[in-house]
Parts: sequence; structure tokens; C-alpha cells
Amino acid sequence: MANPARNIDELETTDPKQTRGPWREAWYEFKKNKIAVVGFCIVLFFILLAIFAPWIAKEGINAQETADRLLPPSAEYWLGTDDFGRDILSRIIYGARISLWVGFSAVIGSVIVGSILGIIAGYYGRWVDTIISRFFDIMLAFPSILLAIAIVAVLGPSLQNALIAIAIINVPNFGRLIRSKVLSIKEDEYITAAKGIGMRDIRILFSHILPNSMAPVIVQGTLAIATAILEAAALGFLGLGAQPPSPEWGKMLADSKDYLQSAPWTMIFPGLAIMLTVLGFNLMGDGLRDAMDPKMKS
Amino acid sequence: MKLKNTKSLLGMLLLFVALMLAACSGGDDDNASTDANDSDGGDDVSSDEDSTGGILVFARGGDSTSLDPSRTTEGETFKVTKNIYESIVTFEEGGTEIVPKLAHDWEISEDSLTYTFFLEEGVTFHDGTDFNADAVVKNFERWAAGDADTFPYYNSMFGGFEGDEGHVIESVKAEDDYTVVFKLKRPQAPFLKNLAMDMFSIASPTAIEKYGDDDFERNPVGTGPFKFVEWKPNDSITIERYDDYWVDGLPKMDKVVFRSIPDNSARLNALLAGEVDLADGINPSDAAAIQDNADLQLIERPSMNVGYLGLTVTREPFDNKLVRQAMNHAIDKQSIIDTFFAGYATPAVNPMPPSIEGYNDEIEGYEYDPEKAKELLEEAGYGDGFEMELWAMPVPRPYMPDGQKVAELMQKDLADVGITAEIVSHEWATYLDLASKGEADAFLLGWTGDNGDPDNFLYVLLDEDNIGSNNYTYYKNDKMHDLFIEAQTVTDQSKRNELYKEAQVIINEEAPWVPLAHSTPLLGAVEGLSGLVPHPTGSDLLSNVEVDRE
Repeated sequence: MANPARNIDELETTDPKQTRGPWREAWYEFKKNKIAVVGFCIVLFFILLAIFAPWIAKEGINAQETADRLLPPSAEYWLGTDDFGRDILSRIIYGARISLWVGFSAVIGSVIVGSILGIIAGYYGRWVDTIISRFFDIMLAFPSILLAIAIVAVLGPSLQNALIAIAIINVPNFGRLIRSKVLSIKEDEYITAAKGIGMRDIRILFSHILPNSMAPVIVQGTLAIATAILEAAALGFLGLGAQPPSPEWGKMLADSKDYLQSAPWTMIFPGLAIMLTVLGFNLMGDGLRDAMDPKMKS
Repeated sequence: MKLKNTKSLLGMLLLFVALMLAACSGGDDDNASTDANDSDGGDDVSSDEDSTGGILVFARGGDSTSLDPSRTTEGETFKVTKNIYESIVTFEEGGTEIVPKLAHDWEISEDSLTYTFFLEEGVTFHDGTDFNADAVVKNFERWAAGDADTFPYYNSMFGGFEGDEGHVIESVKAEDDYTVVFKLKRPQAPFLKNLAMDMFSIASPTAIEKYGDDDFERNPVGTGPFKFVEWKPNDSITIERYDDYWVDGLPKMDKVVFRSIPDNSARLNALLAGEVDLADGINPSDAAAIQDNADLQLIERPSMNVGYLGLTVTREPFDNKLVRQAMNHAIDKQSIIDTFFAGYATPAVNPMPPSIEGYNDEIEGYEYDPEKAKELLEEAGYGDGFEMELWAMPVPRPYMPDGQKVAELMQKDLADVGITAEIVSHEWATYLDLASKGEADAFLLGWTGDNGDPDNFLYVLLDEDNIGSNNYTYYKNDKMHDLFIEAQTVTDQSKRNELYKEAQVIINEEAPWVPLAHSTPLLGAVEGLSGLVPHPTGSDLLSNVEVDRE
């Protein structure tokens, strides 16, 4: 994807990197950042877990062996068993599917809706901008988890509704981000040029403005996946997300809270899984920001 | 930039390790801070103790809804009012036999229509006025003139209000200052037991007049061992020793503070931390931890409850008797009890516990048999199974420590016979409301008896008269209804027992419920606490309780 604005900058600075495209350059920058790579590896690890869950995990994650309940970690049950006698390791592996699915799809949903609203607001300005921006302001006035709880309360508790709620509460973040990016891009020469040769608005929006506003969205999106996973776990913990017997990490935490003292492994491992995934996405997101934001370049 | 990142990674790792350590050693930390608290608290109390009996802090799961017991059916209220008010007669310690209280003696006429009570003399209300026959009459006149909104339990126990066809009490008259005569329209077998219930405790007529109905429930005045001091909603209720209490030497404590701590684990932690002396609603899974702790004791409340899965008979497919029987065969009660009652329960067969007279022990109930369940489903035309909603309560109850988990076990049992159950939960008040409207396919619920009479279980929970209130299954059976009404009027106990036994056979065959368990509710207390005899109704008289803090 061509990036005329940056190419012009780079021509001026006679940097040796000019031979690389912006995406390859970003990858090069990203690789240099060890911490970001650690984050990337953590994320990759959980993605692989999720994809290959049926081959890695034991069969029958919902099979209840009540004779084996609340066993500490052992050779048979690497991370112990929960209060139904289910293997915690297998449930965490399957839980990765749920959490990553919620994280990715909620963020993709909010990016799509947020981008459309943001571009419209930024490009057309005036009263359209006022309406959309005030709408975002109103949504941001609510604490996000409270808004999510309210949405789920209306839709009814289920994983899918939790996903929708998380997507909705993240829309204004992306909308505002894109809007501000569009505001600066639309003054650039190449947009004026495109207008000058009579290009239609739709084409300008989607083949020039949108691609050039994507970098911050990718960074923000990666970080938002972390938040979305946390929010899904929080809703699960409150009983508003995934319903039993699905092995959602937040739900696993909530189910185990009575055993905090007698069987701490039932809480520690799902908690660690949440923490590691969120950490992975955050480290990766920070790395991406460093790599993709020209202002951050040293 | 590289340096900065390395530093932040290190910082993060350190933080991570610190968190892990904190998590692992959490228990010790708690104990350490606890000890400090404990010695502080201990000092305070012991300085009080030198002159008096000290303060008892009783932690429980919820706040009271009212302090006028006649205005509610909710158990948390009675835990407090039991100690502020007294009734004419009462239940024995730890059981449901009738013993004297404000009446030291009584006579019942041959036809069981006239009850004459001889009242204690020299009893005073906390506001200084005398307790006498007039006070009893005024209390009953107040209730009889009410309606189901103001006095929700009066009509179910006495057949209605003044002027209603079914109202059992014809008149309540004071014969002299200390003699009260109740005249009934027809015999009522559990009449004395009804009078002994906490909701029909005698309040000071002067105080009721002074405050009016609505303010009185926040300014309770009775004759009990403790008088009301303060009510902080959702936090605590404080009562203190009534110095002119008519029984010498009682109560032993100076003050009792009822604290509401809704979360079971938090309540246990408060007990472990020494912040409270007595806690009810102990999770069965925590029983072992209390027993192993030398500073604490575990107290078992005699069981008088039932936890069940109700099947709404007006909804498909539970309108089919075979499906209901199949549900009974499909669910493994013993595994539920072993797993989530930690063994502190017995499997239920009938809708009432075996400790109650009239229990039919010839009924064997439905054994756990998935194959049989499948056959019955086949026969009913549901060979391929069906989908249903399985409602689970969101809060721990004495008869059901963890509804959600129990439902999850059932979900798997039902899946084994081809039934797909989706677990549904609502906020507690909504849950009860929707279930009472018959909107649940199948729902977990339970009941703690209030007077130890079979009528208080069978009639209240399964008769057509109580559809829409306590009969959530909408089950209706004319033959059974006749048995219940007959049993209410017959006063010969063995005849009554026969009638209730017959009704239980019908219930077993028709299977509107899957009876699950009769649980043993657990309390935890500090080691030095003595004199507490937990009562099966769930509300305890604390006048004999002492706490010895070394």
C-alpha cells in the first residue's frame, strides 16, 4: 500500500531505510524491540493453544469426575482439578478459544463501526460531526464496564451478548481516533489533488483516507483486544458472560472463589491465563506503537 | 529507548513475582493483620466484660426487611425479632414441641374451639407499659383488621382476615387482666404451633399507637430479653439487654450486634479475623476449615428444610407426568450432596424432612437410574430428548449452598439422558417473582419450615390454594386438596398423620418436584461461645448465650 505522505518525508531525509515499504519498515522496527517480541510470542502461544485445543487438551472438558474434585496439580492433572473434578489445564486451553474469539471479534466489530462513524464525522464535519462526536462523548461519559453490564442486562446474559456489549463500548474510542486522523489527513496535498481531479468522496474516503488512518487503529486495536479480554472475563465473573459449563476464564475465577483458601490453584491458573494474555497483547501493542508511529522514532 | 524497555520489563517481572508471592502468602498476611485486630478487639471487649456480659457480634447473610415480624415472611427479620419480642407460647429449645412463654398455662375445650391462656404476671414491655390480656387482644385485632399486603403471613396461617369466609379465629377476648380466650369457628389442628410462630409475637400496643404501623417497624417494642437500640440499613442492627426482663438472670450478654455480610466467604473471613463471634450461612465446603481451627467451633442447626427442583406443570413438556418421573430418575442426588453440601445433607424423598411428624417413610422415592429415565422419556414421546431452561438461584440459601453449581451438575445428569438444559439465573427478587408467575420450566428452590407442622410444607408448597404464592409448580390435585383441608380441621394427630402420608403418596406418584436434599445449615462461632441451641426454624434466641474470652 503506497503511502505518499511518508514517501515525501523520507525522500527529504535521505534515510537508508527509504528502499523499504512502510509495512516492512514497521516490522523491522518491531523486531528490534525485544519486549514487543516477547509479547508477540505470548500472543502467538495462546493463539496456537486455541487453534490446536482439541489435540492438546484432554477429551471431555465438561466431564465431571466428582471423585477427583479439587485435586492439587499432579502428573495426571497438571494444573489440578476444579470443584466438579474437571481438568483445569484442558479448560484453560479451551478457554483460550473463547477469550481470543471474544477479544478479536469484539475489537473487529468496534473498529468497523467506529471507523465508519469516525470517517464520516471527520470528513464531512459540521453538523454530522457534531452529532456523532456528541454521541461518542455521551458513551464515554459512562464507565465502560457499567455500560457493558447495562447492555448485557438488556440483551440477556450470554457470551454472544457480552461480545456485542464489549464491541459497543469500544466504538467511541476508535471513532474518535479515526476522526482526528481524518481531520489532519484531509488537509494533505494528495487529498486536495484527488479532489481536484474529480475523484468521488467515497473513493477518496476508502482508498486514500482510510488506509492512511490505519496505523494508529492497529496499535489501538491490539491494546483494545487486551481490554476486551479483561472485560469479557469481568462479565463472565459477574455471571453476565459465558454461561455454564463453558470454560470461560472469568467464569472459572468466579466459580472458584469459594475455594480461594482450600484450593487456590482453581483460581491462580485461570487468573494467570488472563494476566498473561492481557500482558502479551499490551506488550505487543506498545511495540507496534513504537514501530508504526513516526513521531516515536528515535 | 532500549534501556528504558529493559528496565520496564524488569520492573514488570518484579511486580509479577511480588504479586505471585502475595497471592501465595495471602493467608499468612491475613492472619498476621488479624491477630492485631483480634487483640485490639479483645481488649475493648474484656474491659467491658469486667462489669458486664460483653458484646456479641452475629454476622449473617442479609439485612432484615422489617423489625415488626408480623409484616414479613422473611427469615432475616425473625433472627432479630426473636430476641426483642415474645409470643404467647413458643417452641422448645432446638425443636418444635410447644412450651409456655408469655402464657404459663392454657386450656383447650373438648370441641377444640375454645383456647384459654393464663398469662405471666409482672411482664413489662420495653417502653415500660404492662403486658396483659388487653395487649394480646389488641395485637390480634390489629392483624385481623389488616390485609395480605400488611400482614402477609396471618392469612395463610389463620385462613384469612376478619370477615373472610375462611378466617379461623372468631374472637379474642380478655376474660380478666391475665386470661385471654380465643374462640375458633372450626378446629384448627396446628393452632398452637401457629401462635408460637415468630410473626405472631406480641408487641406493645402503646408503641404501635404512638409510631403508627410504618414507623413501628423501625422502632420495635416487645417484652423480649433485648431491647432495640439502632438499625443501620444493610449494615447492622444493635439490641441491648433489657434490665427489667421478667426472667431472672437473663439475658447474659449486654449487647448483640447483627451485622449483614452477604458474601459467604467474606463472612467466614470476618469470623477468622475475630471481627465477629458468631456467623451463620457457613459454606459446607468451609466446615472442615472451621473444625481444624482451634479458635473456632462449628455448630450444626437441626435440619427442617427441603431443597428441590420444581417442575412447572403448566409448561411443556412438564405437563406430562412421565417426563416429570423421568427427571426424578435422571438426577443423581447423592452426587450433588457429596459435591456441594460436603455431606451436610440427606437425600430428599418427600417434600418435607423426616423429622416432621406425618413423614411417610414407606415411600422409597426415585432411585438414580438414567436408563429408566430414558425409557420413561421414550414412553412419553420424548425419546430424542428436549430442550429446557433450568433456573438456578443467584444467592446461597440455607437449603442450597450454591444453586448455580448444583444446576451445573444437573445439567450434565440431564445431558446423559438426552435433555439439553440451559442454566438461567435472575436477580433473586426477580427470580422469585418470575418463578411464582410460572415462567420457569424448572427451577431450584427450597423451604425452611416455620412451625414444624406438615401443613407448613405440604399445603403451603403444593396445594392449589397457594398457586401464585408458594406453590411455584402450579401443581393442582383435587383429591390432595381435600386431604389437606381435612387434615387442617382434624385434631387427632394420628388421623392427621395418615392424611398427610396419603398426600405424600400422591405427590410422589405425580412428581411435581425433584426433591433434592434436607441440608444441615452450619454456623461458625468463636471457641468461647456457649449457650446457643440453634433452632430448626433458623431464628435463635440468644438470651442464654455467653462468650468467654480468655
